[in-house]
Amino acid sequence: MPEPSVPLLRLSKVTKRFGVIRAVWNVDLEVSQGDSLAIFGPNGAGKTTLLRIIASLTQPTSGEIEFAFKGDNQSRNRVGYVSHLSLLYNELTGFENLLFYARLYGIQEAHDRADEMLAKMGLEEARNQRTGEYSRGMKQRLTLARALLHEPQLLLLDEPYTGLDQHGSRLFTEVLRGLKQEGRTILLVTHNLGEGLELCDRVMIQNRGELVFQALGEHLDKSGFEKLYFQAVEGERTE
Amino acid sequence: MNPIALTWVLVGKDLKIEYRSRQAYLTTVFFALLILVIFNFAFDPGSPATREAAPGILWVALLFPGIIRLNRSFQVEMEEGTLYGLILSPADRGVLFLGKFLANWLFLMVVDLLVLLAFVIVYNFSFSIQLLWIALLIVLSALGFSAVGTLLGAMVSTIRTREVLLPVLLFPIILPIILPAVSGTQEILLAQEIQSLGRSVELLLAFDVIYLAAGFVLFDYVVAD
Repeated sequence: MPEPSVPLLRLSKVTKRFGVIRAVWNVDLEVSQGDSLAIFGPNGAGKTTLLRIIASLTQPTSGEIEFAFKGDNQSRNRVGYVSHLSLLYNELTGFENLLFYARLYGIQEAHDRADEMLAKMGLEEARNQRTGEYSRGMKQRLTLARALLHEPQLLLLDEPYTGLDQHGSRLFTEVLRGLKQEGRTILLVTHNLGEGLELCDRVMIQNRGELVFQALGEHLDKSGFEKLYFQAVEGERTE
Repeated sequence: MNPIALTWVLVGKDLKIEYRSRQAYLTTVFFALLILVIFNFAFDPGSPATREAAPGILWVALLFPGIIRLNRSFQVEMEEGTLYGLILSPADRGVLFLGKFLANWLFLMVVDLLVLLAFVIVYNFSFSIQLLWIALLIVLSALGFSAVGTLLGAMVSTIRTREVLLPVLLFPIILPIILPAVSGTQEILLAQEIQSLGRSVELLLAFDVIYLAAGFVLFDYVVAD
């Protein structure tokens, strides 16, 4: 475990370009152990690219990323990633999916761990059902179970509320709140201002690749932040 | 988990998915049979011309349907983004390649041997010991085909036109295994002798080793970014 004073993750001047398009621009960011951070922004702001860079799914064009844990395998073992795609095999059952990933991560007692995670997400009854037959909400909970199998220190969530109804969103938020209480570090990218503010201690706004605003979530209410958000996003657009 | 066990976990996953969906299996077998039957109608059955063209027909029926499997192999990984799930895991990228390659190879083995059986029946060849030599050529060429196909399949997996792009990239690269395989088959079927078959087998083995090593080493670069 890293020391509390050492940031779990530090990004320095990270930039990612796709040809002439700058998806992420000059991002400096520090995330400490136990932080919960929400990044908001309009479509195309570069939020997903930023998360993919942190997850090491894509390389930055320039800048540096440092983890408190060293080495490629170390960081892959300590990071959990939930995207708007489920990263699950539709032809396999919920249990088979978790068992497969547990083995991929070299988890001892993989069977027990898969069953434990199914129980934690309330999916025991759907254990032997193919995930292609799961509802969107069930699938998203299983996705979270997959991301948490190896007990990552840093959990990256990319638009996890996409396609979830009110009930599904509420259930998902409850699970995330539990994880926050366990002291996990959460980095959430979302359009959903309400859910993000409710869940995270720190909030940021990303626009045109840049982080243009950051504050502590406890000092913000939803309507006030909504105003700030539109000012930050629209203000930049009219400039 | 040790690399060998992990490779079999990956193979098992792929075969289980294929067994349950049967998508690639059915379409590949059907496409191969269709090729055999169409060529059978095009040529006069039993004529010397048919027998001369037969080795070429067999390899067309083996190779073109194989593309369906290779495309399907990574299509499954793109549907729900599971390729990212594999890449994000701490598993060695070389092991990920081996798992995919072995699953593709085993799948092709089953399909190819069925196609060989159908070929013998449709083109009226006798079941003899010579067929075992053809089977050997098929096993060896499928090794190289799967190795290059797995690597290129991963490379084009995120491209929208991957179905078209894969054969365009694949066939020129696997020419060194297609040529000895076809000439070896010709020798077995027409000359009824296997004196210079050893040369074809040697060539196939050499290119299999090169393609496998290249796939194992390059897979990391192909899936990065």
